[in-house]
Amino acid sequence: MATLRPMLEYDTVRTWLDGLRQHWGTDPLEDDPTRLEVLEMFCAFVDKEPDAVIRECFIHKEGERRMSLKGRRFYYDKIAEFQDSLEGEPRERVRGGNNIRSFFIHNGVFMQSGMQLG
Amino acid sequence: MEFKEVIGRRRSIRHFFPWRPVEREKIQIMLEAARLASCAVNAGFLRIIVVERDKLPRETLEKLKTPVSANNLELAPIHFYFYADMGAIERTKGQPLKDLVDAGILTPSHGWSHKFVDELVWPFILEPITKDPGRHSMTAAFDCGVAMSQALLAAFDEGLGACFSAFFPDPVKELFQVPDTWMPIWMMAVGYPAAGWEDGGQRPRPVTFEGQFFEGNAKTPFSRDPKVVEKLKEAKMITAPAPLPWRKEEVRALSRMLGLPE
Repeated sequence: MATLRPMLEYDTVRTWLDGLRQHWGTDPLEDDPTRLEVLEMFCAFVDKEPDAVIRECFIHKEGERRMSLKGRRFYYDKIAEFQDSLEGEPRERVRGGNNIRSFFIHNGVFMQSGMQLG
Repeated sequence: MEFKEVIGRRRSIRHFFPWRPVEREKIQIMLEAARLASCAVNAGFLRIIVVERDKLPRETLEKLKTPVSANNLELAPIHFYFYADMGAIERTKGQPLKDLVDAGILTPSHGWSHKFVDELVWPFILEPITKDPGRHSMTAAFDCGVAMSQALLAAFDEGLGACFSAFFPDPVKELFQVPDTWMPIWMMAVGYPAAGWEDGGQRPRPVTFEGQFFEGNAKTPFSRDPKVVEKLKEAKMITAPAPLPWRKEEVRALSRMLGLPE
């Protein structure tokens, strides 16, 4: 089991929060205080630290950093599994899953998962 | 709606009301508009498969998704798959041109005759095109693009929104029984725009007017007259640019309404 440090110590988590802040102009943790907690749950679910999760969505080829289709597909499915595993009302499960998708998106991992209706 | 306003309203829409169906009549209007587009050698390359999202089994819809079109496919109730039938010229061997001669469109005043089509146009122009894949596909794709643009504008004229995107040809071919001679072009998602016709504002263009258009040669920019620009603003062809002041709140509300990430 990966030992997780406090979420804010990870570069990718700070990148995510900065991305949200810059895009929406509001404090991401005030908007949704559950963000870090749900990300931590997801990392425990996949047994990986957040930086490692994002790293697995990229490959280095011919000196360039490119998207790993396999990595992205793997996490696309894992997010869906994680979302289904969450307790609570469908709306809350969708919010949890979409928070994880947001983490990937603001770290440059293009992801469209369609409407999540819970 | 006036033509200029239709052009002004045209923008790639990515948020649709997923629950609102598109009337069959409007779909036909779009198809009719595509059919009447300019068509090189009257070949008739264009083929369109109209797919209703809600008639697709879930696993079929999943197979159709590309990384950049997944949301469009889910949100838009109607999908148009555009193809060029690369067998069109070979099957007809110039007959469509002879039909235009008979209709008084290609006229002897301009050198046209059946004999000209049979003895020169078909063997020395059309048949060689069919044997040159690059030239053939460029010709067909251009024609289909013109028709697609007419369908697109017809959608906006009907109060709809639309967005082109690429699609994975192999699963679509298998799922919708596409003939081997059909060359895939693009897919268009169609529906009612969830953020209204403005949808955040008129999109910016990456090149200036004078950077794109030239006069007399490729070095002399075509000078843009501000009086014409004002006239086009009055005619609603040039509209308020993106982003509109409320766009962020709008997208956030749409994301939450439609279960999309932020």
